[in-house]
Amino acid sequence: MTVTDDSIIRLRGVTKEFVRGGERLRVLQSLDLDVKRATFQALMGPSGSGKSTLLNLMAGLDRPTSGSIEIDGKRIDQMSEGQLAAWRANSVGFVFQSYNLLPVLTAVENVELPLLLTPVAANERRRRAQTALRVVGLDDRMDHYPRQLSGGQEQRVSIARAIVTDPLLIVADEPTGDLDRTSADEILTLLETLNENMGKTIIMVTHDPAAAERAGVTLHLDKGRLKE
Amino acid sequence: MTFASLAARNILRNKLRTFLTVMGVGIAVMTFLLLRTVISAWTAAADFAAKDRVVTRHKVTFVMQLPKRYIDKIRQMPDIKSATWANWFGAKDPKNDREFFATFAIDPSSYFEVYDEIDIPADQLAAFKADKSGVIVGDVLAKKMGWQVGQDLTLESGIYPAPDGTEWKFTIQGIYTTSARSVDRSTLFLQWDYMNDSLPEVRRDQIGWVVSRVGDASKTADRGLAIDKVFDDEDTQTLSQDERTFNTSFLAGFSSVLNAIDLVSVVILVIMTLVMGNTIAMGVRERTSEYGTMRAIGFMPKHIVFFVLGESIVLGALGGAVGVLLGYPFIERGLGRWIEENLGGFFPYFRVPPGWAVVAFFLAMLLGLLAALLPARQAAKIKVTDALRRVV
Repeated sequence: MTVTDDSIIRLRGVTKEFVRGGERLRVLQSLDLDVKRATFQALMGPSGSGKSTLLNLMAGLDRPTSGSIEIDGKRIDQMSEGQLAAWRANSVGFVFQSYNLLPVLTAVENVELPLLLTPVAANERRRRAQTALRVVGLDDRMDHYPRQLSGGQEQRVSIARAIVTDPLLIVADEPTGDLDRTSADEILTLLETLNENMGKTIIMVTHDPAAAERAGVTLHLDKGRLKE
Repeated sequence: MTFASLAARNILRNKLRTFLTVMGVGIAVMTFLLLRTVISAWTAAADFAAKDRVVTRHKVTFVMQLPKRYIDKIRQMPDIKSATWANWFGAKDPKNDREFFATFAIDPSSYFEVYDEIDIPADQLAAFKADKSGVIVGDVLAKKMGWQVGQDLTLESGIYPAPDGTEWKFTIQGIYTTSARSVDRSTLFLQWDYMNDSLPEVRRDQIGWVVSRVGDASKTADRGLAIDKVFDDEDTQTLSQDERTFNTSFLAGFSSVLNAIDLVSVVILVIMTLVMGNTIAMGVRERTSEYGTMRAIGFMPKHIVFFVLGESIVLGALGGAVGVLLGYPFIERGLGRWIEENLGGFFPYFRVPPGWAVVAFFLAMLLGLLAALLPARQAAKIKVTDALRRVV
């Protein structure tokens, strides 16, 4: 199987089932999807529609029950746990709804965290983390701990952590879910900038139609199937 | 930032919990050190016994006595450099009858040759030999009782009644010291002749035990057997043992106590491990989503294991350091001195055994590692998506 030149993500016949309380639940059903390189796509749908499950599969956090997932020409569904972890470290940036920063680390240390897994020297790690924080406009908050930052600032740090390894793909799950409108707009603007100026492919799960409008493409998921 | 510094940072996340855990571990380590010191002190007399001394006693029991003429026969045997004898006198100060101290009736001319680790100024030893009612006392006992050289003493003995039926009169002629760990510095020595001459005719010339020094320390056991063989055909037969075995036989009566102390010291370590395990498990539970985040961005289960184990080992090390830093001076300078001065009969040398402070410290680290094994395994096994739960 090959990926068309402008597609970075290609899902074919992806099905995901969970067993809950002895009952088998099919969350995604024979799903086919192509995501073009350097696009900003929103994934919408009602609760339980399978949005987060689909995002987890594309980010290599989970495996499909059947079907194939190819990211930038690599079959991630066939990778071992170790290969998958290494792939995630190099290829995916994560932005979480609750930011998920480590409270014992400063902003710059949180951004530096993914680089600990690379052979980059300590000085270079710190320099790259500082650069990522400058990109998100937090060069004056580098030594602040998460508790000393606002929600919007914490999410910016989270985005800096997501881009510090220069990944192919950024996955964001409800990145504005815990923010006020103004902060949410700032975060969405930042994601747009990363997409337009740095060519990052961004997949964002959201419930917010206003947030989805900022993405170039919106995918709708319902009962485990993509709607046209 | 490094992996190690990241692991260490978590320790300061909940300062109160960390403080309480470190202090808990510290107190456990201190108690462990104290109990090891008790065991070591109790066995010091055996551990530091002279290798070239043989103790000969009645074959049936230590309480039964030997004819005094046995000493002469033993002295004539080959490879016996010197020999002396003693009786347990069982005296106490009627003014302080709760104060226990050992009292031995000894032969002043030979006893301190056989026990040459006991140091007495030459003039005081000469005065002791010259004064039939003279006594020599240990420096710790003298300090505790407020006794001085030249002072008259009145003592009672439950074993040997005084000649006039009331109390024994003595004069302190000397104070001994010693650097040997096996020698009690709270003993009182009186002249055997003074005791013997005061006894009724039927009780005279009986000695408690004989102590001999042999020429070849590697043949102490053989010399003991040879001594016993000499008295095989006598009415009173003997049992001779090297000093270490003899001292150990006394400890046999306390073996259950020593075993209990041994067991308690292990139980304390187990409790310490459980305390640390609980702290680490709580921390791991609270940080589940953080570990999920770290796994998501590429950290491997082995990294999570490293963080959890690293944190617990550092906790153990901190607790171990607190325990040793508090316990060592407490035992060496405080409690140990008090015990040597007040319970010198049981614990003449109450010091932290060499190396045990280091062992206690590293044990705390090792048990920190063991305590975190299960929480670390659980943290590493959790599925990333479950750890992130509602986040992704």
